[in-house]
Amino acid sequence: MGDVHEVPRRRIATGHLAQNIGKPVCFVGRVEKIHPTGKFFVLSDGEGKHTTVELNEPLDEEISGVIEVVGRVTNQATIMCMSYVQFREDKSPFDLELYNEALKIIHEFRDYFPFG
Amino acid sequence: GGYMQSPGGFGSPAGTQAEKKQRIRSQNIVPCTVSQLLAAEQVDETFRIHDVEISQVTVMGIIRHAEKAPTNILYKVDDMTAAPMDVRQWVDTDEAGGENVVVPPGTYVKVAGHLRSFQNKKSLVAFKIMPLENMNEFTTHILEIVNAHMIIRKNLLSASRVPQSFSSTGIGDMGGYGGGSSLPVNGLTAHQSQVLNLIKNCPVPEGMSLQELKAQLHNMSMPTIKQAVEFLSSEGHIYSTVDDDHYKSTDAE
Repeated sequence: MGDVHEVPRRRIATGHLAQNIGKPVCFVGRVEKIHPTGKFFVLSDGEGKHTTVELNEPLDEEISGVIEVVGRVTNQATIMCMSYVQFREDKSPFDLELYNEALKIIHEFRDYFPFG
Repeated sequence: GGYMQSPGGFGSPAGTQAEKKQRIRSQNIVPCTVSQLLAAEQVDETFRIHDVEISQVTVMGIIRHAEKAPTNILYKVDDMTAAPMDVRQWVDTDEAGGENVVVPPGTYVKVAGHLRSFQNKKSLVAFKIMPLENMNEFTTHILEIVNAHMIIRKNLLSASRVPQSFSSTGIGDMGGYGGGSSLPVNGLTAHQSQVLNLIKNCPVPEGMSLQELKAQLHNMSMPTIKQAVEFLSSEGHIYSTVDDDHYKSTDAE
């Protein structure tokens, strides 16, 4: 599969999953629920739409708040997670809706925000 | 954040006007994606994006790797647009403590530095690396990149060669995003320019009325037209004539 961290990973929202099947992506969303097995969790994007994130190994920690996932979109339009990081919100809450608006802009003006 | 603007005129030997126009240099720090830096063309000692010379840049990304050496710290900074980029920060070997703290992997940072290339590999030499305390700055940075690179491209295409500030107030002046090119050129938005041009070209002594403007500008609502008229009037481009609904241009055409 190759190291997905060495290639461009397009920033997407839930609505873009279908067009990115098989591709490396970066998804930012808020934790909605975690499966009891810890092998997958659900994130909501800036429009409140849900994306399922799958893991190779179960989570070994509690995750909450805003998570940025790097991975590949599966045929089922879920994301196979290769790594994730939690956005710090200790000083200020993260405005996920604004981030979603920014995504629309970088998708529309892809000449000025190239992925790859 | 804002951008550092270096004062015009570096004290370099004065070239002719023509020579100065050849070299479009960005005198600001330009926010960039790693992918843009990798794509920048190198000509001798300088780098160009969209044909504009760039030197000082900012990038924001997550630290994937940090390696401390006696004289420098080498980071790999990842903003998802390409593979992580090498960022080197020189360490003051005389300073004890403070300056030499390594930012741990997994931290989102803002890097300000100079673009370098060695043996065809691009890297950054950072003069500032700051962990982000507010991740909304990352969202702002994304927007500032699009704004700055659009302005660079527009400057290239327009007759004016004066470097413009890349502050985000350029886009903030817009009354709402959407529809047509919304970037200000020569200080006026597309809407304002359209309204001004119609008023300028109106031959009638009492000037053009708001109703006539609405009839001609199908894509603009009356509130938008009124907003444009208010702005143009306050800037001195137009003045009202028989009443507040009629305007003429101050430019002698």
